[in-house]
Amino acid sequence: MNPIDDQLNRLLRVAAKTESAPASAPYGLETRALAAWRAAKPGDGGLWDMALLVRGLMLAIVIMGVSLVPLLNSTTDPFSEYVQVADSTIASDDAP
Amino acid sequence: MTDAEVTECLKRGREGDEKAILELFHYMYPHVAKLVHANLPVREGAEDLIQQACIKVMSNLHQFSGKVPFLHWVSRIAVNTCLNQIRHEKRRPEIRLADLSEEEAGVIEHLAAAPNELDASEKVAASELVEKLLAGLRPPDRLLMRLLYIEGRSIEDVANLTGWGRMLIKMRSFRARAQLRRRYVLLMKEKP
Repeated sequence: MNPIDDQLNRLLRVAAKTESAPASAPYGLETRALAAWRAAKPGDGGLWDMALLVRGLMLAIVIMGVSLVPLLNSTTDPFSEYVQVADSTIASDDAP
Repeated sequence: MTDAEVTECLKRGREGDEKAILELFHYMYPHVAKLVHANLPVREGAEDLIQQACIKVMSNLHQFSGKVPFLHWVSRIAVNTCLNQIRHEKRRPEIRLADLSEEEAGVIEHLAAAPNELDASEKVAASELVEKLLAGLRPPDRLLMRLLYIEGRSIEDVANLTGWGRMLIKMRSFRARAQLRRRYVLLMKEKP
């Protein structure tokens, strides 16, 4: 073998033997790694969103129901009809 | 940890057992750290890159299909993280004998003078000398030289880790080796 290649091989062999040993995981990395795993976990985020959407829809339905109660009452109240008729009569009397 | 144990840990993880996921994390961490340390010449940035690679592995853990061994899959992510990092690094200029420390110059002296292996006291200097020689190569060539010569991986292994074809690896390693040799010869010529 060429002496230069031989020297280079010996040099690389020595470098291979002196590779530093890996250290233990630094503080905090474990938590970050777990958080990354949780964030990427399939399904979890979607289910959470769906539950929130369902809750929101239910709340909206309740609010709509509550707000419709006075309206329903007013349309079935005979007095309110009387007031409407009287109001329209006054309006037509005043017209030129 | 065997592949069956890894699969079991992943199964437990999918069922919500975070301890199993942490077991996997502690199993793969030394492997990632070793790979990043070996493939990144700038040691100051190694810790950040190890963390980056670990987070990437954990984020993609649910995509692991089990078709390849777990550590192999982890290695590929770690090597690709290194490649992405070093891709934009610039090649360092040629080194001169005057740039070397006394110990590093002594290593060159020893290699030229005696055919025997280097002493234990010279190993650190030899390692630093190799770093300096490799720093002059293009980043992908540098990574390839580390994988092949420092870590002693096979071409097949390197192909799996990097996704490069075998022919490309052979061509790159031939070219990188020639460049490394040229840089070494330049140093030798300066030797008094």
